[in-house]
Amino acid sequence: MIRKVPVVPCSGIGKSLGAAAREAAFVLSEDLRPGDAKVVALGLLVLGDEDARREVAGGAAVAIDGCKLECAAKGLENAGAAEIRKVAVFDVVRKHRGLKPEGVCDLNQDGLALARAAAEEAARIVDEIVAEESRA
Amino acid sequence: MPEIPRKKIGLIACSGEELAEGTVTRRAVRRVLETLRPDDTVTLCLPLFLAGGEGERAFARHYPTIAVDGCAKQCAALATEKYSARPAAAIVVREIADETKQTAIGTARKLNEAGLRLSEAVAERIAAEADLLLKKKSRER
Amino acid sequence: MSRGVLELTFDKFLFRFPAEFLYSDEGIWVNFEGGRARIGLSDFTQQRSGDVAFAIPKEVGTRMRPGEEVAVIETVKVNLSLLSPIAGTVVETNADLASAPELINQDPYGKGWLSVLEIEDVETARRSLKTADEYLALAKIQAEAEVLR
Repeated sequence: MIRKVPVVPCSGIGKSLGAAAREAAFVLSEDLRPGDAKVVALGLLVLGDEDARREVAGGAAVAIDGCKLECAAKGLENAGAAEIRKVAVFDVVRKHRGLKPEGVCDLNQDGLALARAAAEEAARIVDEIVAEESRA
Repeated sequence: MPEIPRKKIGLIACSGEELAEGTVTRRAVRRVLETLRPDDTVTLCLPLFLAGGEGERAFARHYPTIAVDGCAKQCAALATEKYSARPAAAIVVREIADETKQTAIGTARKLNEAGLRLSEAVAERIAAEADLLLKKKSRER
Repeated sequence: MSRGVLELTFDKFLFRFPAEFLYSDEGIWVNFEGGRARIGLSDFTQQRSGDVAFAIPKEVGTRMRPGEEVAVIETVKVNLSLLSPIAGTVVETNADLASAPELINQDPYGKGWLSVLEIEDVETARRSLKTADEYLALAKIQAEAEVLR
């Protein structure tokens, strides 16, 4: 069975960047790479859910973090992920100057645009991982 | 005389991405924070909590919290107890969904009308729990 | 003797203010180093403003009067025009902020400094600023007002 690359968003609830990270994970797993990427919940991972841990132990995982606190990446590290590749929504903001994301439950247009851009970066990483694993 | 900080309730949502109920927890908690009980509540960010956020963990040690989880795995309640203190109340969205027979609520990415109604019902439940906790706190003084 | 760092806790937020620094009402800290002053954003102001995406201080050689723009900060929430609280000439700016503006959020009083100014009149500059205790009291009022809004 072909493994789907696990994707873990931070889903921070205090800032729109957390909401953008969450939306980026959905855009990636449902629109851009539905056959290759799968969202794994950070809470399950850190608290030791066996299925979640098995997903990330099998190969590289992608952390999508809203800000520089990198909660998803840290959670993956604490959960013993085999390899972590990172997408920082904050860095995407810097590449798209002028975007002012708003909203936590309902992102505004800038927030949705930011999520899309972050998902596209994550999709490139997923493609790399899939290519590496098929060569191995 | 030292000033005693005003008592507030910390709300911690699981935000789980694998179930629509996780998205309900987010909407419900934000609704309480922004509209229903803005003076009495703060949100604690679960990912930050898990990653070692000192502000979130310290608050949960000293103030009452309400954990709002999507399903019986109760990640928010477990994390709060593990890293700070047992939450004063724990709400599980799936139980409310079963009670109110609103189980087809959309997806984690997008809730449908039933999911939005469920979010409102959960928000009201959180607000009621917060009111109980604050009354208890007033009586203790 | 150093008084260390003053702290203000508000809900789950903790704001820190080095006791030896002075502060403007707008939340710029000032640390005098002889005839020069190093400036930056207070912990309170950086937390309120959000994650810094761009920090652009006025270039070296710029002469500042109190109330003139000394830097522009763009966060994911707001664009801030920071006004110099003191008169002086910019002699140094923090080059690290070009590639790592998040230093302002992560270490506002250390690696996140903005600029160094050569001061024309140190005593006048000092008198125009608030002590850490005075600024903490102001920050508390501002934090409470924001919650009530």
